[in-house]
Amino acid sequence: MSAVTRIAREEWRLWLRSKVVIAAALIIAVLLAATSFLTIDRIASEQSQRLEQQIAAEQTFFAQPDRHPHRMVHYGHYAFRPPPPLAMFEPGVDAVTGQSIFLEGHRQNTAMFADTKAAADLGGFAALTPASLYQLLLPLLLIVLGHAMFLRERESGTLAVMLAQGQSGVTLAMGKAAALLGVIVIFMLPLIGVAAFSVSAGESALAAFTLVGGYFLYLCVWGAIVLAASVILKQRAVSLGVLIFAWLFAALIVPRFAINTSSAAIDAPGKIESDLVMLAEQRKLGDGHNAADPAFQQLQAQVLEEYEVETIEELPINWRGVVASYSEAELTDLLNSYTEERMGLEASQSRMFDLFGVASPTIAISSASRTLAGTDLATHHRFLREAETLRFDFVQALNQAHAEQLDYTVDINRSNDAASSQRARINAASWQVLNEFRFEPDSADERLARSGLTLGILLGWLIFAGGVVVFAARRVKI
Amino acid sequence: MISPLEARSLSLVREGNAVLDGVCFAVQQGEIFALLGGNGAGKSSTLLTFLGFLEPSGGEVLVNGASVSSDVAAARNAIAYLPEAASLYGHMNAYENLDYFLDLAGKSAGRSEIDAALERVALPQEARKRRLQSYSKGMRQKTAIALALLRETPILLLDEPTSGLDPVAIDEFHDLVKALATGGQTILMVTHDVYGACQVADRVGLIRGGKLVGSFAAENGERIDTETVHAAFAGRGVA
Repeated sequence: MSAVTRIAREEWRLWLRSKVVIAAALIIAVLLAATSFLTIDRIASEQSQRLEQQIAAEQTFFAQPDRHPHRMVHYGHYAFRPPPPLAMFEPGVDAVTGQSIFLEGHRQNTAMFADTKAAADLGGFAALTPASLYQLLLPLLLIVLGHAMFLRERESGTLAVMLAQGQSGVTLAMGKAAALLGVIVIFMLPLIGVAAFSVSAGESALAAFTLVGGYFLYLCVWGAIVLAASVILKQRAVSLGVLIFAWLFAALIVPRFAINTSSAAIDAPGKIESDLVMLAEQRKLGDGHNAADPAFQQLQAQVLEEYEVETIEELPINWRGVVASYSEAELTDLLNSYTEERMGLEASQSRMFDLFGVASPTIAISSASRTLAGTDLATHHRFLREAETLRFDFVQALNQAHAEQLDYTVDINRSNDAASSQRARINAASWQVLNEFRFEPDSADERLARSGLTLGILLGWLIFAGGVVVFAARRVKI
Repeated sequence: MISPLEARSLSLVREGNAVLDGVCFAVQQGEIFALLGGNGAGKSSTLLTFLGFLEPSGGEVLVNGASVSSDVAAARNAIAYLPEAASLYGHMNAYENLDYFLDLAGKSAGRSEIDAALERVALPQEARKRRLQSYSKGMRQKTAIALALLRETPILLLDEPTSGLDPVAIDEFHDLVKALATGGQTILMVTHDVYGACQVADRVGLIRGGKLVGSFAAENGERIDTETVHAAFAGRGVA
């Protein structure tokens, strides 16, 4: 058995004979097991519920009776985002963004994210999830186990005995590192289990096991930080104090500072704010419900010329449907320009937040974790875009049906009496224009590419902290 | 002939203070050399330079003729070191401690060999499977000595080895050290125990203020005279 392995084994013997260590490890293990079980149960339930709700929403839409097509535009539809399989471990931003949108004509109903001003918050720090336990509690366990692992040898005088046996400070440090590595590997097992379960639920193995690798890297970073403190510092109380402060700094202070800085540096207006600004421009576009709105005079001239007729009554298509379609396209362009601008600002905030990973490995792993799990801001933005495409397509298809299947004269007289209203309806078969919507997370390659920066930052942390350990261990004195 | 241990004009400065100043001595094979001095005289520092734990500011220390600075690993492999506090692990029993440190030293010893060493230092059988945290200082010291024995190194460095031991245990320890020297081991011990040093050592070096100020040798089969050394130690004259 090599000296490194033997030192690690004896460290384990010490831990296993310590009631405090056993109790701390058991508490965290139970917490981890309970949280994992509850989160898996909740996410699995949400996954099936949302899929069922999506199918039910589609069936309900298709099952509508003959109606006026514009009533169907406002009857609307729902888009649901089922949590991806890895949300069992990392629910990410879902808690603050919401996962369903009501889709209807002339509106983009996505208010939750920007309204909470949570663009840079990105969730994860308040809720107790398996990911937050790995990010916050396991480093604490490593601190409890390792803050004195090297300096204890110095304090008790065994360092001199050990060195006198011909072992170097570096060998001793590597032995202690191997002992911590053993702890890390054991606590990776629940995550490996969740990752394997997520793969069985349809997740990409590459994404799932990169997530495992990312957390392994993260815990190794903390292990190296803990060991570095234990090698450099001379008293265990000082080591414990310094490491607890480092944990507070990395897990609480830097994230809060990063959120505030990102929000202050990149001012992203909330949905309500941007809606108010947008309203003024929206009015200039005209009211799509009013075909006589002066805003559509130019359109009217163009259409009359195209069909070579003098009046809208002579048109072979329903002028009101044409206006509704034109108005929807114009309005959607406007809405999209504001939405894209807002999402761009939120993405910039998120990128700036990620850069604070150089000051806190906890930020780096939390960001990589959300990205790899498919529960990050970028995925949420893609959901909004895809839902908007779904909305626009079915609204425009209904507007087209309005223009082509409903006679203009019947349409404008629909409010005269019940019989007129009955005549101003089109066949329910026209509702089949709705596309099926099944939101899927990004491909594993895309998620890996997006998490490259933060995983790289974590690797940098490990190289730095590991370098400090080796540097200090080479100079260790009794 | 090469001396197993030799200090040549050894000087050591720590935090601006001269701890050792031109110390010279050599210990021959099979010889017991006791470095005697009061607190802060520089005894333990001298010993630690042989292990490479302290780097000389001037001069050099040699183990088996090789400078410790140039090959500290070789020096440590040749030396068994018994620190003053007999520092071993409290959460392990005697067997586990010895097995562990021997493993680190690259030596292996079976249970019978370990038992023989523990027998030699008179550690009671019933104590051997108890964790060291329940041991008295004397019992810890015995376990540490057993480790030194099991290392089977040609050189033994002892730092205040009898500190905390009862008179009977001290006598037993002295007998053991003499037996080891007779077997050819070279022993350097540092102590402030004048009587003990004179009882066991072939030569006693008196160190004061980081300087070797006197040397006393046993002659004609007689032990070193305690009174003479004590007088020198107390500053009443140096031989």
